[in-house]
Amino acid sequence: MNKDELLRSMNEAIVAGNKAAAAALGAEAVRSGADLLEVIEKGYVPGLQRVGELWEQGEYFLPELISSAEAMKAAMAVLKPELDRKNIEARRGGKVVIGTVEGDIHDIGKNLVASMLQAGGFEVYDLGADVKLERFIEKAEAVGAGIICLSALLTTTMTNQKRLIGLLHEKGLRDKYKVLVGGAPASHKWADEIGADGYAENAVAAVKLVRTMTGGD
Amino acid sequence: MTLPLLDLVKTRTVLLDGAMGTELMARGLPQGTAPEAWNVERPGVVKEIHGEYFASGADVVSTNSFGGNALKLAGHGFGGRTYELNLAAARLAREIAPAGRYVAGSMGPTGKFLKPQGEFTEEDFAAAYAEQARGLTDGGADVLLVETQYDLREALAAVRGVRSVSSLPVFVTMTFNSVPRGYFTLMGDSVARSAAELEKEGVGAVGANCTLNSEQMVGCVRTLRASTALPIIAQANAGQPVIGQDGRVGYSQGLEDYVRFVPEIVRAGAGLVGGCCGTNPAFIRAMAQIFKKERS
Repeated sequence: MNKDELLRSMNEAIVAGNKAAAAALGAEAVRSGADLLEVIEKGYVPGLQRVGELWEQGEYFLPELISSAEAMKAAMAVLKPELDRKNIEARRGGKVVIGTVEGDIHDIGKNLVASMLQAGGFEVYDLGADVKLERFIEKAEAVGAGIICLSALLTTTMTNQKRLIGLLHEKGLRDKYKVLVGGAPASHKWADEIGADGYAENAVAAVKLVRTMTGGD
Repeated sequence: MTLPLLDLVKTRTVLLDGAMGTELMARGLPQGTAPEAWNVERPGVVKEIHGEYFASGADVVSTNSFGGNALKLAGHGFGGRTYELNLAAARLAREIAPAGRYVAGSMGPTGKFLKPQGEFTEEDFAAAYAEQARGLTDGGADVLLVETQYDLREALAAVRGVRSVSSLPVFVTMTFNSVPRGYFTLMGDSVARSAAELEKEGVGAVGANCTLNSEQMVGCVRTLRASTALPIIAQANAGQPVIGQDGRVGYSQGLEDYVRFVPEIVRAGAGLVGGCCGTNPAFIRAMAQIFKKERS
């Protein structure tokens, strides 16, 4: 397989959500001594972008997004040890702390966002659901994250997104973090009203938003 | 004798109720508490809410058991109390229901995923819903309403679970999002496919609830009408949540704007109409007046 074929196959493996193929192509890239950063940026990542487009067009839904994110992770699991061995730093998207706020046990959307962010190259610290607000801050402080993502599915728990921002102010840490909110009841207007740094309607938009926030493309 | 609900819907538009969770919160349900716990701990409050919806003109109220399947309750440590909490839910609604009105046993989603996205099988889901259906049936529900379903496979598993323990009619509402190609669930199930599969499974009525506001619901009901001959249920949200001057959460679509589209929802083909998130007894009262006017 020449390089163009390899890159195209990688793209296709991600779009098809084919985990086994994505991993096998990664292994082939390692074996053939290909430029691994190029393989990621020109092979896999465009596939992930295409998946995002298909989602926005209403062609892809949650199952396809999850399969593609899994395929991406499988490819990275093959490439990562090789990159580490060669001391090559893959383009890092930055560190993100994410979770569903306290009082709220809904985690479908949050899991999807976490998965897509991870597939998109971010270092994701997923605290789970019903997370005490202090824990978001403690974790972000501990790992040196720049972004805190808060999910809430209920109108009664979405106010905790606002409370977290208040808590950051109290601790004098507000400027240290970008706080992004999501979940069924949230909206751009809501994010503005509570003084959050951004809102994303879905997992694809969330990855774009986090990328913008961290100064990426 | 009361006409079976499926016969009533052949004669006129049936009015369902509105939101339950927010009504409970307004009466002090603490954040993070399973609302179903109040069926036993604060039965008077639950009854009062049902009573308000009946007084507003609702033909049918939905029991306080939306999160009452065994899997969801297990998340609150109440998995072992599924039968008890659902039995109480149906009893409370039954006790306050005036003669000639109906009780729908509310059955919301598990919040989990089936394989391969999740770790559960259809059998797991069917069992979780069956245990709930047993309680609701024994408590005196007239129909079972499997609602807010975002995965057709889960909805079908729920119907099968219900069927294994109960002979009550089963209604199903799916939650559709408006995407560029039309109305689809989170998992990508179209309106047409959902209606066809559910009809094949023998449900008594199908419909849409949540997420869509009342204006968007009109188009969704039209699509449903084109897909099935079954009675259609429509329960729209009152728009998007917004934070008010007082710091409280409200909904973007006010009562007047919401009910403006209700006659269109009926004309589009819905036979059972009620509210979802952001609605309250005042919305139902306004809808009751519209239906009354249209009948006279």
